[in-house]
Parts: sequence; structure tokens; C-alpha cells
Amino acid sequence: MKHILIIDDAATVRLYHRNILEAAGYSVDEAINGIEALEKALVKPYDLYIVDVNMPKLDGYGFLKEFRLQENIKQAPAIMVTTEAGANDRTLGYAAGANLYLTKPIKPNELVAYVRLLLGDLS
Amino acid sequence: MAIITINDEDFLKFKEYFYRKTGMLFENSKRYFVDKRLIERIQITESESFRGYFNMLRFESSGNELQNLVNIMTVNETYFFREEYQFKCLVNSLLDEITAKKTDKSPIRIWSVPSSSGEEPYSIAIYLLEHWAGIHDWDVEILSSDIDTAIIAQAKRGNYSSRSVQHLPKNILTKYFKYQDEGYQICDDLRGAVEFSRVNIMNAFEVRPYRDIDVIFCRNLLIYFDDTARRQSAEMFFDAMKPGSFVCLGHSESMSRISSLFRVRKFPDAIVYQKPLDVR
Amino acid sequence: MAFVKRQAPDDLTITQDKRENERDFQGLLLELNSPDVTVRRWAVRDLMQIPESSPFLVTRLGFEENISVRAGILNSLAHLGDNVAIAGLVSCLRSEDAALRNEAIDVLKEVPDKVEPIMSNLLTDLDSDVRIFAVNILESLRHYNVEQWLIEVIEKDPHINVCATALDLLSEVGTEKSIPALTQLKARFEDEPYICFSTDLALKRIIEGS
Repeated sequence: MKHILIIDDAATVRLYHRNILEAAGYSVDEAINGIEALEKALVKPYDLYIVDVNMPKLDGYGFLKEFRLQENIKQAPAIMVTTEAGANDRTLGYAAGANLYLTKPIKPNELVAYVRLLLGDLS
Repeated sequence: MAIITINDEDFLKFKEYFYRKTGMLFENSKRYFVDKRLIERIQITESESFRGYFNMLRFESSGNELQNLVNIMTVNETYFFREEYQFKCLVNSLLDEITAKKTDKSPIRIWSVPSSSGEEPYSIAIYLLEHWAGIHDWDVEILSSDIDTAIIAQAKRGNYSSRSVQHLPKNILTKYFKYQDEGYQICDDLRGAVEFSRVNIMNAFEVRPYRDIDVIFCRNLLIYFDDTARRQSAEMFFDAMKPGSFVCLGHSESMSRISSLFRVRKFPDAIVYQKPLDVR
Repeated sequence: MAFVKRQAPDDLTITQDKRENERDFQGLLLELNSPDVTVRRWAVRDLMQIPESSPFLVTRLGFEENISVRAGILNSLAHLGDNVAIAGLVSCLRSEDAALRNEAIDVLKEVPDKVEPIMSNLLTDLDSDVRIFAVNILESLRHYNVEQWLIEVIEKDPHINVCATALDLLSEVGTEKSIPALTQLKARFEDEPYICFSTDLALKRIIEGS
């Protein structure tokens, strides 16, 4: 079973994404911001990360920049999910190391489709 | 008084709030433990229900009730070699990284806050002597501070109950302690190895003389502070530290609830936090 | 054994108030622009004690690039808490820099009394991102009006993500008073699975909570 880390400071968002991904057969952990996410990822690397942008202490861009420097775990795909839909935000997301940039709120089938695509679970 | 119960929705609400504030996450298997303590606090505060209590907890400006809860949800006990994995991390990883960066032979400076009755700074001294070969090549200053002068006096005396030393290996106990006056007296060499002082870490002027620290142990203290006090204390540590130096927090604490100024570092024995070398 | 003590440990307490320079206001303002990060950081911390500092700190915040100095400025502004200081913090919410925005939200959360008078304005700002950040700040406000503010947000705000952010908080602080607005919001965004999920969650917590 593949492991996904959901990084978001909103408890409701974490629960929503968790329910969708667990129903699709993934195992899910949660982190409330970028620092907690790094702590968790460094102890137990995940197959994929779902990263919010605005979070206290370490935001999504900051997390991805730091994460992409960590040997052994840095190659995992990351989906950035955010309320910010501007073209500039998108560019910043990709520059920080996101593989995909999605605008909230996300439809369940859309989320599952993108996760499967990035994890190569299309069969 | 009506019988107070915590239902599933109450538990989830509490769990999320407590996690956000402290970083401590209770799994459902801890439900009984959490419910029991919550009900105890609901009764002591004479709240009528979980809802009334939760509102008070969330909106009380002093934050005292959250502190009470943290107190009863954690075990705050101090003893020798408590959370030993961090001392292992110190001797196996941190000190080697620090000495590799040093350009002179000035002492390595370790600060243990709060000193409490001295178990932590003395544990550090013992660990260095027993497990770190570098102690023959480097001078080490162990500073230890507390806000409470009575507890500092006790730390300086260095007399401990059998409970305090119960996790020490037998050979360590006989090597560094003497059984006397129905307690274990730590040897004079170790008493002389630690510099105790009174400091309120919330006071910038009192913290200011502490500079160029290489490693700070601040375990199970910040979790009892409110958000502002926690962040400000961490920032004072930041100013007291050398670039590239480390902070060790307690096992249920995380910098993710405290400050954004430090980097997360993973070593084989522990996760610790580092003041960036380039002082971003 | 190679344990050593400082040569004069007593100095730790005796010299604590001594300064290298006369740290008057003008001197601190000069240090605020020093090329040395450490000097700037100490200046920022000392300026916290001088009420006239806010405009200078806000100006420096506009181009300060060092994260630790910036954190110090935000902290000092929150401590000063006058109108200029709070306006300076609020202006960070419009920054392109996500880290700065989130640090500003963090310190604004710590001064609820100072934020309360401007909350209504923030919650009706033209920029939906600013409204979202205002709801984030509400999380910590210890004020009887928090639930009412959130109800107004979900009743009136046209932006789905502003409502979604308010919903997250309502599922923690909502009471029976929120039920009509929650029901109405669910109807307004009936095709949005996220809103349906989170209104159901908030309603369940309100109705089943004890």
C-alpha cells in the first residue's frame, strides 16, 4: 500500500482529503505545517505529498524547497493545493518543486486521478 | 451534578484543537485516558458540560486551562538519563559536527534549561565522560539555568532519591554516586562540572549574557507556555546560539508549534533543530 | 576531565544591563540599517521598547531580507501595537511572499485586542486572499463575536474558499446559532463536494456535541 502525507493547517481539509485517498486504497498521514511535515518525512518517507500553500511556521513553498534538498526522500512527487489561483502563484509552486498545482476545492475523482497519475497507479 | 460524558464528536473536536496547539495527537486507542482527564477537568472547573468547558478552554485569555490540561496529559518527571536517545544523538552526531566546524580550541558550550534539580545537566556530563572520546581533546562548558532558586540550590547539592537514579546502569551509579543519608550523592567532580545560574528565559536582559551556545537542551518546558511565550523563548535561544548550533526539545514537543527560525535535522538517534549556518 | 567553567560566572548577572554602545533611539535607528545581521536583530529587539519606532520598523520590513531580522520586526511591531504597527503587519497580508504573510498572521493572532477593531474591514476586503487570512486570524480571537463574524462570512461571502476557511473554524466553535447559515451555505454550493462535506461535519458536531 502506498503512503501519502497530507500537509494542511485546516483540520477539515485534511479529513476531506484523507477520506478520499483512503477510499482509493492509500494509507494517509497528516501534518499541520511544513516543519511537522519534514519531521515526519525524514523519519518515514512517503510516496507522495499533498501540500497546502499558506501554513504557519513553514509554508508550502518553504517545505518543498527544504524537502527537495533532502537526499533519499527528495524524489517523491508533490501536489500543491491552494486557494491562490494566480499565474504567478502557479509559477512559484513549480519553482519550489511541485509536480502539480491544483486550486481548492478539489473534486474527489479529480484528486484520485492526479494521485494515481503521479504514482503510476493507472492500471 | 449531571453525569458528564464525552461523545465521539466532542473527542474529535478536542483532539484536533489539542493537536493544533501542542502537537500531541491522541489516537482512538487513547480515548479512555483522554476522556478520564477531560472529565476530571470539567468537574474541577465546575463546567456544566464538555461544550461549556471547551468554550472556556478556547476563549480563556490567560491560557491557564490549556496549561492545566497539558500538565495532566503529560508525565513531567525528571530523572537521570531521561529521553536518553538525545544524549546518544549528542555524543554520536552533534558534537562531531560542531567540532568539525570549529576554527579554534575555545570550549564547546552546552546549555541545559530548565536545570530543575540537576538530573539533566549531570546526565549530559556523565554521557560525555562515558561515551564521547572528544572529551579528551576539547574543553566543554555545561551551563544550566532555572527560574527557581530553591531548585537550583537542590541541583547544586546533588543528592538524589533512588527513583531519580533508577535508570542508571549499575556501573555508572557506583562510579559517580555515593550512597549516603538515604540518598545518592553525586560526586564532587560532576558537581564542579556544571555551572548553575538563575535565569528567566522570558526576560531578554537576563538571557542576553548567554552567547555562543553550541547545544541547547530545553526539554518539556516550552510545551507549557502559550504561543507567544513559546515563540519568544525560542527566538531568545536563537540569539544565544552560534550559527549551525542545535536545540533539543522534549519528545512530545516540536518546533512546528514554536518557531520558523530553525531547520529540522534528522540524525540516526533523534530529530533536532538547527540554527542555520548562513543565518538566513 | 575537560569540563571548564567561565572565568567569571558572576558576571553573567552583574553585567547584564551593560551595553557596548549608548543605545539611544538615534543609535538604534542607525543600527537598524547595519549590514551586520546580528546588529540589526538586536536593534529591532531593543526598538520594541520605544513607542516612536513603529514607522521605522515598518519601513525596514519593506526591504529586510533576512528571515530572523524580519521575524524580530514582526514581533516588535506586535508588541508596540499602535495603529502604524498594526497597519504595517496587516499590509504583509498582501505580500507576494508566502512566508511573510504567514508570519504576519501568526503575530496578529497573538494580539487579538489590537486586531478586533479592524476585523470587520478585513473580512470585507476586496481581495479574497486577505479575507481568508482574516478568518485565519479569527481562530485565536477571544471575543464573543467570533461565531457571528463567521456566520456573516458564510452567509454573504461569494468566494468559495473564504467560506471554506470559515467552515473549518465553525466546526470547532459553532453552536446552534450557526445551523441556519450552515444549511443555507450547503444549498448555495450544493455541487461542491468539499462544501457539502464540511457543512455536514460542522452540523454533526453542533448537533451531536454535548
